Amino acid sequence: MVVKKAYVETTDRMLRTLELSFLDEEDARAFHFIPGQFCELSLLGKGEAPLGIASSPTENGSLKFTINKAGVVTTALHHIEEGAEIGIRGPLGNGYPIDLFKGKNILVIGGGFAFTTLRSLIAYLIHPENRSKVNEITVIYGARMPGLLLYKEELNQWEKRSDLKLVVTVDWGDKDWKGKVGLVPNVLEEVAPSSENTYAVICGPPIMIKFTFPKLMALRFPDERIYTSLERRMKCGIGKCGRCNIGHLYVCKNGPVFNYAQLKKLPKDY
Amino acid sequence: MEERSKAIQDRIREKAKELLSKKEVDLVIGFGEWTLPLRTTPIFIRTPEGAEDLIWNSFCENNLAIYLHKFSQFKVGIVVKGCDARSIIALSLEKRFKPDQLFLIGVPCQRMVDRRRVKKAVKGEILRAHEQGDQIIVEGEDFNTTLRRDDFLYPSCQVCTHRTPMGTNVLIGDPVKESPLIETHPEIKEFEKKSPEERWRFFEKESSRCIRCYACREVCPMCYCAECFVDSSNPKWIEKGFSTSDLEFYHIVRAYHQTGRCSGCGACERACPMEIRLTYLTQKLNLDVRELFDFETGIKADTLPPLSTFEIDDRQEFIK
Amino acid sequence: MKLRLDKKDFKNFLQNLIDEYDLYAPVQLTEGVSVFKKIDQPGEVNLTQLHTQKPAKDVFFPQSEVMFRYEKVGKQNQMISMEEGKRERILFGARPCDIEAISIIEKVFVGEEYTDVYFLEKRKKTTIIGLGCNHPLSTCFCSSAGGDPFLRAGSDLFFIDLGEAYFVELLTEKGMAFHKNKFFKEADPKDLTFVKELEEKAFEKVGFSIPVDGIEKRLDLMGESSFWDRVHEKCIGCRICTYLCPTCHCFDMVDEGEHQRGQRVRHWDSCLSPLYSLETSGHNPRPTCRERTRQRLMHKFNYFPKNFNQVACVGCGRCILYCPVHFDIRKAIIWTSPKRPKRYERGMI
Repeated sequence: MVVKKAYVETTDRMLRTLELSFLDEEDARAFHFIPGQFCELSLLGKGEAPLGIASSPTENGSLKFTINKAGVVTTALHHIEEGAEIGIRGPLGNGYPIDLFKGKNILVIGGGFAFTTLRSLIAYLIHPENRSKVNEITVIYGARMPGLLLYKEELNQWEKRSDLKLVVTVDWGDKDWKGKVGLVPNVLEEVAPSSENTYAVICGPPIMIKFTFPKLMALRFPDERIYTSLERRMKCGIGKCGRCNIGHLYVCKNGPVFNYAQLKKLPKDY
Repeated sequence: MEERSKAIQDRIREKAKELLSKKEVDLVIGFGEWTLPLRTTPIFIRTPEGAEDLIWNSFCENNLAIYLHKFSQFKVGIVVKGCDARSIIALSLEKRFKPDQLFLIGVPCQRMVDRRRVKKAVKGEILRAHEQGDQIIVEGEDFNTTLRRDDFLYPSCQVCTHRTPMGTNVLIGDPVKESPLIETHPEIKEFEKKSPEERWRFFEKESSRCIRCYACREVCPMCYCAECFVDSSNPKWIEKGFSTSDLEFYHIVRAYHQTGRCSGCGACERACPMEIRLTYLTQKLNLDVRELFDFETGIKADTLPPLSTFEIDDRQEFIK
Repeated sequence: MKLRLDKKDFKNFLQNLIDEYDLYAPVQLTEGVSVFKKIDQPGEVNLTQLHTQKPAKDVFFPQSEVMFRYEKVGKQNQMISMEEGKRERILFGARPCDIEAISIIEKVFVGEEYTDVYFLEKRKKTTIIGLGCNHPLSTCFCSSAGGDPFLRAGSDLFFIDLGEAYFVELLTEKGMAFHKNKFFKEADPKDLTFVKELEEKAFEKVGFSIPVDGIEKRLDLMGESSFWDRVHEKCIGCRICTYLCPTCHCFDMVDEGEHQRGQRVRHWDSCLSPLYSLETSGHNPRPTCRERTRQRLMHKFNYFPKNFNQVACVGCGRCILYCPVHFDIRKAIIWTSPKRPKRYERGMI
C-alpha cells in the first residue's frame, strides 16, 4: 500500500495517523474487514507491527491506522513520508461482534490511544446503512489531556449529532478546554447508561479498565455483554508462531476481541 | 559410598537443618539426587526436615551462584565449591547483593566428574553409577565397568588451583592441598602451537554447532544483564540467525564480557547440548588477565576487577 | 508389504537415494552430537545415537528459514519468494517419536484458515523412512505419551534393525512406490519373529508408568496452584528444552538488512525467553520464570490438547537428557497426579 496522508494526532507527537491506499485496484476490492480487526503493517528492513484498523469498512478506498511511537517499527512508521510504500497483511483477528449488536444499545468506552478500533466501530455504526440496525449509541472517550485526544475534528462533528451521545472527557483540562474534566470510570458512573439490552465495548489502558470494570458491574452489565480488545506481542498474526496465546486461545486468531465471560475462564496472561 | 563425600554430606545436612531451624536463612540452595545417574540437581530447601535431601558427590557440577539473582529478595544459604565461591566474591564486588543476604556453606571440592566422557567410555546406556574411593562404577543393561575417577574429570577441574572456597561462613571439611592435576588446560596447550589461521578454523568449527540456545549465558553467574547484547533491537548488534559470523560474534563477545570476571567454573561448557568447547576461551582469557594485570577473579574480596575499573597509573602502552 | 535390506547393500541403497532425492539423515557433528542434515555421501549417515540432538522437525521447519528476500529497484520494492528445491526429499532414520511430533506440528501449521506453506511444501515433497527403537533409553516415555518405540504411524517406510539386515515395511502409497527397489528382498519368516521379539522387549523397557493420561483435566484445576511456585525454581530460562523438543514450534520473524536490500527470516523461538511476550510498552504478561514455565507445561499438556485432542509431547526424553539443571518433565507430570509422593505435600520436591 502507499501512504496517502500522514499527520500527527497528538500534541506529544507520539501518535501519528497514516491513511493508506491500495496500489492495486484488485486488492482494494478484495479487502473486506469488520471493525475491531487489525493488520500487520510491514516496513521492509525494519519488521512488522500489528495495528488496529481505525477506519471503518464504510469509508471506502483507504485504510487508516493510528500508530503509537514505541519501538523500532513504529518509530520508522513515524518517519516515513507520504508516497512511501508499506506492506500489509490482513485483515486479521475476529473483530467486534457486529451481528450480536443488531437491535441493541451500544455503549462504547475508550481511553487514550486505544480508541483507534473504537473509531472504526463508531463510524461503522453511525453510517446511514447501519444506523438503523442498532438502537442507542453512547460513547465515553477520555484522554489524559486535551492535546492527547485522537480524531479531534471528528469528535467535534460527532458531538453535534443527535443519533449519538458522545461524552468526551480529560483527566486534566487546560485553559482552552471547555469540555468535561474527569476520569473515565467516574464519567461512566455519571452518565449511567442502562445495561438493559445493551452491549458494552471497552478499550483502554489496563489501569482504566481496572477501575471502569467495577462501575460496569455496578450498572449490572453481565460478563457476556462486555467486550474488550486485547493487545499482545504478535509476530505471525495467524495463530502459528505461538506467542500471543492466552490459555488455548490466540489473541491474533480467536481475538483480539473477547468478552469477559470468556476472559474469566482463561489464565491471566495479559 | 565414598567415605569423605558421605561425611561432608552429613555435615551439610546438619548445617542446613540448623540454619533453617533457627530461621537464619529463608532457604538453602544445594544439590540433590534426581532421576539420572552421574547427575545431581539444584534443590531449594525451606524446612529443616527437607535438609535430608541435600547430597554431596563428584557430580555436583552446577554453579549454584546463578540462583542468587533469582532469589535476591531472600536470605539464602548456599552450598559452594571453590569456583562457585569465587563467582560470589566477584558478584559481591559488582554489588549484586548485600553481604548479609548470604550464608555460604563452603565445601572443598574433590573435582567434578565429566559425565559426557564417562558416557563415551562405555558402550550402552549407563543406568546406575556410584563412587567408591577413587573409582567410579557404572552399570548398564549388560555391562559393569570400573573407571578411575581422576581420568574422567572436567578440563576446568583438572587445572583448578582454588578448590577450597574462600569467604565462606562455614567450611565443611578441611581445606585441600591446592595443586592442579595438569598445569595447562589441554586445549590451550594445543592451541598455542597453532597458527592464527588454524586457531580460527578450530574456533569456527566449534562455534558452527551452536544453536543459540543461550544455555552458556544462563548458567553463567556473571551473565546477569537485564538486556543481553544479543537481545537488543535498538541498536541491533547481532542478528538472530546462524551465519558463521553471527555465531562467532556471539561467542567472542560473551567470552570478552567475562574477561576479568570469569571464575573458570566451566558451567558454560557443561551446559552446551552441542558439546562446544568453551572453557579454552575463558581459560585463555583468564591466563592473559593474570599475566597482564596480575589478577584472578574472586580470590581477594577487596580487589576490583581490572577491566571494570580505571586507575590513573593503568598501563597504556597500547595507546599510540 | 514386508521386505528386507541386507546391511551389505545399505551403502549402495543410500547412494541410490542420494542420486535421485535430497536425502536427510542423522549426521554426527562431533562424538555424541548429531543432527539431521542433507547428505552427499552414504558414509555421512550416523545412527549410533538413539536420537539426534536437534530433532527431525528441523527438516520441515528449519531452525532458520528465509521467508522472502527483497530489493529496491528504483522506487519499487521487489519481493523475491524463496523456492523449494525441485527434487523430492527423503527423511531417513527418524525415530517414531520424532515422526509423531511432525504430525503434531502439522496440526498447527496446516490449519483450516491459514496454511504455513513453507512447512507444507517440504512435508508434501518428503517421504519419511522411520527407524524403530530396539533399545529405548531409560529417559524415553513414548508409550505413556500415546506413542511407542515401533510406532509406524506417519512413516511411509519403516525400518527395523535386525543386526545383519534391516526389516523394511512399505506402509503408504509413497512407501509402496519403493517396492521395486533393487536392494529390497523378500522378508524371511524368521525376520518377522525377530521383529516381534524386539518390539516386545522395547515395549517392556519403556513401560507405561508416566501418568500423561488425563493430564489435561488435572491441569484444568491447577491454574493458580502453588505447584507453579515450586516447579520453576531451578529452571534457568535457557532454550535447550524448547529447541531440542520435537514438538515445540514457536517462531520469531525478523527483518535482516536495510531498506535497500534484505530478507525476512524466521527462527525458532522459546516461550521460556523473557523477550517472548515482552510488549514494546515494557509490559510483560509473563514477567518471571514461574509464569513462563507454567506456560510451557500448560501449553503442552492442557492448551494444545484443548485445541487438538492430543498432548504436545511425544516422550522422547531429550529435555531430560540435555537440561543443564536436570529438570525432569516426568516428575512434573507425576506431581500433577495422585501418584505424587507424600513429601510433595510437605513442600519438598
